[in-house]
Amino acid sequence: MRSIKKLTMRLRSLMFRSQVDAELDDELQFHLEQQVQEHLQKGAANQEAYRMALRDLGLPERIKEECREMRRVNYLENLAQDLRYGFRIIIKKPGIAAVAMVTLALGVGANTAIFSLVNGILFRPLPYPEPDRLVRLTEYYPKGAYVFLRDHSQTMRVTAGAGGDFNLLRPGLSPVRLTGTLVSATFFELLGVHPEVGRTFREGEDTPGNDRVVVLSHSLWQSQFGGAPDIVGRRITIEDTSREVIGVMPPDFNFASGRSSLWMPLSLDPRASSDYWGPEMPVFGRLRPEATLAQARQELTQLMPGVISAFPYHMPAAWNKDVTVIPLQEDLVGDMRAKLLILLGAVGLVLLIACANVASLLLARSVGRRKELAIRGALGAGRSRIGRQLLTESVLLGLGGGALGLLLARLGLATLKAFLPADTPRIGDAVIDGRVLLFTAGLAIATGMLFGLAPAINCWRVDLLSSLGTGSRRMQPRSAGRLYNALVAGEIGLAVVLVVGAGLLVKSLWLLARTDPGFNSNRLVTLQITPNGSFGKDRAACLSFYEELIRRVRTLPAVESAAAVNTMPFSGEFPVVPASIQDHTGDTEGPTPLLWSGAITPLYTSLMGIPILEGRGFNDDDRADTAPVVLVTASTARAFWPGEDAVGKHVKAVWEQQWRTIIGVVADVKQYGLAQNRPGWVDGEIYMPYTQAVTGHREFPSSMTLVIRTSSDRLNLSGEVRSLVADLNAEVPVSDARWMKEVISASITAPNSIAWLFGTFATMALVLGATGVYGLMSYRVAERTHEVGVRIALGASRWEVLLLMVRHAAVLAVIGIAAGCTTAIGLTRLLSGLLYGVKPIDPATFGVVSLTLLGVALAAAFIPARRATKVDPNEALRFE
Amino acid sequence: MGKPNDLVQGTLDLLILKTISIEPMHGWAIAKRIQQVSRDVLQVQQGSLYPALHRLEQQGWIKAHWAETETGRRAKFYSLTREGRRQFDRELANWGRLSGAIDLVLEMA
Repeated sequence: MRSIKKLTMRLRSLMFRSQVDAELDDELQFHLEQQVQEHLQKGAANQEAYRMALRDLGLPERIKEECREMRRVNYLENLAQDLRYGFRIIIKKPGIAAVAMVTLALGVGANTAIFSLVNGILFRPLPYPEPDRLVRLTEYYPKGAYVFLRDHSQTMRVTAGAGGDFNLLRPGLSPVRLTGTLVSATFFELLGVHPEVGRTFREGEDTPGNDRVVVLSHSLWQSQFGGAPDIVGRRITIEDTSREVIGVMPPDFNFASGRSSLWMPLSLDPRASSDYWGPEMPVFGRLRPEATLAQARQELTQLMPGVISAFPYHMPAAWNKDVTVIPLQEDLVGDMRAKLLILLGAVGLVLLIACANVASLLLARSVGRRKELAIRGALGAGRSRIGRQLLTESVLLGLGGGALGLLLARLGLATLKAFLPADTPRIGDAVIDGRVLLFTAGLAIATGMLFGLAPAINCWRVDLLSSLGTGSRRMQPRSAGRLYNALVAGEIGLAVVLVVGAGLLVKSLWLLARTDPGFNSNRLVTLQITPNGSFGKDRAACLSFYEELIRRVRTLPAVESAAAVNTMPFSGEFPVVPASIQDHTGDTEGPTPLLWSGAITPLYTSLMGIPILEGRGFNDDDRADTAPVVLVTASTARAFWPGEDAVGKHVKAVWEQQWRTIIGVVADVKQYGLAQNRPGWVDGEIYMPYTQAVTGHREFPSSMTLVIRTSSDRLNLSGEVRSLVADLNAEVPVSDARWMKEVISASITAPNSIAWLFGTFATMALVLGATGVYGLMSYRVAERTHEVGVRIALGASRWEVLLLMVRHAAVLAVIGIAAGCTTAIGLTRLLSGLLYGVKPIDPATFGVVSLTLLGVALAAAFIPARRATKVDPNEALRFE
Repeated sequence: MGKPNDLVQGTLDLLILKTISIEPMHGWAIAKRIQQVSRDVLQVQQGSLYPALHRLEQQGWIKAHWAETETGRRAKFYSLTREGRRQFDRELANWGRLSGAIDLVLEMA
């Protein structure tokens, strides 16, 4: 009832505005008359009484405005009015508006682009039903351990998927090497995905005898089978096995890797013990209804002793002891999360700087507009009303900048996607969707409010009446100047933070790029020779194949030398063997030492330029039937035999009977990547002669990398090598011809792109900061023209004037830089995971950045300051 | 010509409500009445009076009608609504509690 009455009253006020206003006029007029009457009765003269009454009443327009405010009719009307007015102001001064909007567009655009990545990679749920129930069991498990977990877990249904490379035989053509995934039969059903054509695996199809089936990816179906409609039911040969194609997955299915082009069942055969308890693979799960993540974690910890005792041989109790269960999304995103959040923080700083920039721009303008605002105030606009007006203007600017920023973001996102490493998880999911649009709109409005606040606050402080009285530009309130100074110093400080961050990243990238990989990568080309896995069963055939291949390759023109190795440095693969080390009194319950084991042909070390520090290298006399020998790297020798000579000591794979004698120590190679020789879980490196090689799965390595040193770096050898291989064995594919130099530079793509992005943001910050200083100085110079004129007239030299002007900027810059460095010291810690060879608080970087910022600030101040020295005192004194 | 500092907003509302609870009055009379009764201690400025009246009307506690004064001029008279009378009682009770409490503190402390 009451609210209806209120509403009708408000409507009346709104619709019959003129009538309500007339009544208000009348009411106040009546009051005035009474007041006059009173003064008359007290004996004042007519004229005098009226004047006194007017004075008593105060500003009638102000009272009316407040009354209207009380009736709350003003909101809507004011908004419309403010918007109209705001548009007019923007159109009247398009230059300032354009600068403001472009500045904002840069900030908002960069933020939107990065947020699209964050949204796509971190926030968007995985494209499977009930994605939040999907989990990853950390660490890796052999088939047997997976089966144990599958059979015992009450909280999860589990599945496993191991990636690998396989040869697909093509009738009449050379075989092709494909990346595939071996999965348990429950894999697709557990994920909740359906094939595009045919079916996926049925229960039991992951047991020997039932596993001769394969599911293809959409792209493989198209590229190798021309999208044949009768694909289901066809038989294809993968490695040595003929398999029936039972289905094709839709194009967007990319689990567990975007590169997987076929899925085959794991062969779960407890009788094949070395396979069943050998290769380890990731295990995934789906929480059962009612079960929670916490329960799953607890259960997994409880199940681990059972898993360990299920092994057919003794396993240390410490095996996988830190195992836990994490959401699948978290697992897929991996360390991208930290990187993205850092980038988002960086780009947020850029936006803050842009805001400060626009705020100072508007502040300078609002001081110029003081007269206009004072008139509006005198005509009855309350201070809050004027403040709202200014805020409306800036929100309009913000929205304009936001719209422009969205366009920039579209471009930016496309560039980003092309720029980031192709294997960035979920990068395809990064699109500008509803959530991103909402984010951008919110950002535009929030930034509008933020940078509108400065002029609005300032206008509240200005004494409207006094500024109307003097109307001079020179008499300006101190507070505006202080606010302006603070904004510019703040901008410089934020820029310091970003530039320091970028400096650290670029420096570590530079250090990384000039790290010596430990071998000579000049004119080095590698090719993958990948016979079927079964080829390795016949060691003699394998040996003679490679021996003959290398002999023939070395006869090719332009080939200086050739060798074979099981894994090249930077290949991403890191085959290890659990090793026994003679006389090494290790902790028997501790984990068995894991050694990277390279299998090399005799020429490898000399071809690669890896120096032999002690003892001898391999030669043709190290044959399968001679005494087993190994080489160790220098760091391995130091780790296991500190202060002793490693040559003559013995190592072997844990299952072997015969010790292998160390015959030499070679220099370390950046086997794993430029940043580290080996992953943290590996304890050392050994090389075996290929003739005596064994893998961690107790097999003889059949797939090798052919390494060739050529006499020219513009030479495509793959054709020749391919035909040589085909002559020897038509079923062996040759793939991946790559220059080692390119492999090395590709290995730092990820840090490279992060450093570049950060560098881009820092550049934006630097430019925006410089513009801010330039704007401030231009403003101050214009403002002090009169003063400068007086000084010059009184005999100040141009140099002194210049100093006077630049000094101000220098003080601000120093304050900003000091504040920025302090903040940076607190924040660069967050970068430490991305740094290589640089401490987060690197004095050199901080110093160089501080000097750069100071230089940039002074340069930006110098241009307008020089204008001040050109002031003609005669002109200046006549100014205004 | 800012808002009076000597009259807290709520108090002004209370004074207005009290003043017009006896009979409908126009703005001028309300101001004069408060001034007289308080023996010139409380002087209500127009700048606060009229916004307050419009706010109270907006709240639905007072209503306005145009009528002739004794001199025959039309003026806007304000009177309490039923809602306003209840509000007045509430505010009066509040005021009593508050002033009593202040008295207590001043006497005892």
